Amino acid sequence: MFKIRYSLDCELDNGITDIKPPQELNVQVRNLVLKAKKGGVLTKGDIVAEHPSSMLGAHHVASCGKVTAVNYHSLTVKCSGEEDTVEPVDVRSMNAGAELLRTLRGLGVDVSQLSGKAETLVINGLNPEPGVSVAQQILRDGREELHEGLCLARELISPARTFLAVSQGETITLPGAETVGLRARYPYSLDPLVVRAVTGKEFPEHTRVIDVMALYALGRVALTGLPVTDTIMTISGRNYRVPIGTTINHLLNVLNIKVESGDTVVLGGPFRGEAIYSLYDGVKKGDYGLFVTSSKAIPAVQDAACINCGECVLQCPARVQPHLISRCVEYELFDQAEKYGLNSCFECGLCAFNCFARRPLLQYIRFAKTQLRTKAEATQA
Amino acid sequence: MIHPIIKAMSDNPVRLVVSPPPHWRSGRTIQGMMRAHLLALVPAAIMAVAIYGVQAAAVIGMAGTAAVAAEVVCLRLQHRDVNVDNFSAFYAGVLFAFLLPATAPWWLAAIGGVVTIALGRTVFGGFGCNPVCAPLVAWAVCRFSWPDAMDIDLNLAHFMANSPVDQLKYFGVQSLSQFEYMDLLTGHQIGGLGSSQVLALAAGGVYLIASRWTRLFIPVSFLAGVAGAAALFWFIDPTAYADPIFHLLAGSTVFGAFFLATDTASSPVGRLPQTVFGLLAGTMVIVIRVYGVYPDGVPFAIMVASLLSPLLDRLRPKFFGVR
Ligand code: SF4
Ligand code: SF4
Repeated sequence: MFKIRYSLDCELDNGITDIKPPQELNVQVRNLVLKAKKGGVLTKGDIVAEHPSSMLGAHHVASCGKVTAVNYHSLTVKCSGEEDTVEPVDVRSMNAGAELLRTLRGLGVDVSQLSGKAETLVINGLNPEPGVSVAQQILRDGREELHEGLCLARELISPARTFLAVSQGETITLPGAETVGLRARYPYSLDPLVVRAVTGKEFPEHTRVIDVMALYALGRVALTGLPVTDTIMTISGRNYRVPIGTTINHLLNVLNIKVESGDTVVLGGPFRGEAIYSLYDGVKKGDYGLFVTSSKAIPAVQDAACINCGECVLQCPARVQPHLISRCVEYELFDQAEKYGLNSCFECGLCAFNCFARRPLLQYIRFAKTQLRTKAEATQA
Repeated sequence: MIHPIIKAMSDNPVRLVVSPPPHWRSGRTIQGMMRAHLLALVPAAIMAVAIYGVQAAAVIGMAGTAAVAAEVVCLRLQHRDVNVDNFSAFYAGVLFAFLLPATAPWWLAAIGGVVTIALGRTVFGGFGCNPVCAPLVAWAVCRFSWPDAMDIDLNLAHFMANSPVDQLKYFGVQSLSQFEYMDLLTGHQIGGLGSSQVLALAAGGVYLIASRWTRLFIPVSFLAGVAGAAALFWFIDPTAYADPIFHLLAGSTVFGAFFLATDTASSPVGRLPQTVFGLLAGTMVIVIRVYGVYPDGVPFAIMVASLLSPLLDRLRPKFFGVR
């Protein structure tokens, strides 16, 4: 049996362990612009897909190999085992500006928080969710990368003040940043709540927030000049560096974790993560955890009517009205849902966590947001 | 009924269960909630049987059963899943029974149980959608249709005790010297068979709050509203109005505070709205007891306050980051 907890502090006994690249990679390309074809021969670090938005980074292959299958969902690469990589880009010698941002994007970095100037930069160093210790681990073991990443970020944003938010009692510092100790309890690790704790304002203007995972990735890109091809994940309490596209099946085999029919396998954390439906799904960029639960451990989600108990409202850190939002979304009244605070919600999942009727509230919220975004994009185009 | 969806890439031997996040949940369910609520009513039911005899148990059983049967029929007619195993219909039926005199004829209990479900809930969309507390709808319907059968004072005239709220209404404050507060507390007053078991109901209510199935806001503010409004009148003229403790102990005040006003669907949501709702309903109880024609103001007070809850729901804080 597992135990539900909100505390984000974890014990760190080990360093980061590398997971060897598997024989086959399954890179998720859903909703991306494909840049590789079936039969194509790729070198480690070659672009396979780009994100349609102008801010999010490109996706790269984590090993040399040949593309054996492509569908709307994923791109399969048979790895050749060669050690080649693409030519490194000398990021460090470049000057801050659009050119640098474009290069970083091309190397797989999400630049949405890096473009343009801002007054305040907040580095979110809290573990994102209970049971995930990636942030803590990186703060301990990834100092060089973090330093490099912070230098680059500060160069791009040129903030007047930089803060590093860490768990209360930790004495970590980064050169150029003021350390702020925060209560390490979910949901107070989420970016908007961390920013509020540091600046005292909700969704303040001229403020950027980057979590240490992203800062670390940025630092690595700057140091090596190579694209992002791996992610650090907490699996059963230990942290692993996993090549992007590694199938869950491979991970489970290497780490000797058993999965049976009826289990739920989640990429990410317990509150916000995504349950995968096939063990052949690949790890995505930014995934920070993997865990398995028995689906019997918790009463299942239901398509049930709201009984208006108010638990979701009382528990919502964004003070919105998930019960009304979800009722609107059930009838596809997305614009109406905005009136009940849809845009203030930062998707912590506590509403659905507490719902007596077991309604999939977070799912409704994410669905509404996606629908509205798609609609906005369609009217723009 | 949710049917499984077979997706691409699912052709592997291990069939995973996919569900939306969060993957941890509190584990609390409607079934658990209703079970706890029924448990909270048990002490009062036992007291009712102790005071009124088995006929009280028969009335509870009749109303509960009728409510469940009505729920099954209503759900069938609507082609919805029959989920009476969440006990919500049974609970609503029992709440209705608690408002009846213990001598109520079987047909009254049965009709009330059916009306609770059919008119109280189903016509508004079912469990969770009723704008007014369902058992109270049935109570009002029966009160108007069969006033004699519903009249507590009349039906229980052969019991030694009197109904404190009726005494107050018809004979004034002077008549209240016959009541010891200790007797009122232990249910030695006549009233609804369960709704007058003050101490037992309070124990159940405290259990619900301690186990967090019910939140503090409504019961506490309801009782505060009753006590506050009663105190106001009492200060003005103690010879004309009863004191606050009497109002808290008499009639179905405690029952209303913990079990009727907290009905999830018909009460507002959020700290401030729930507090205001409780205060309003509580104050209204006294206003009805003082000026109204009904001796026990609780049912009507709660119904009126429920109608205001959509308005009260607007007393919400600003959303995160909205200036
Ligand atoms: S996910 Fe739910 S609880 Fe969390 S901020 Fe959004 S609406 Fe509120
Ligand atoms: S917690 Fe669930 S049942 Fe309760 S008000 Fe919110 S959505 Fe409705």
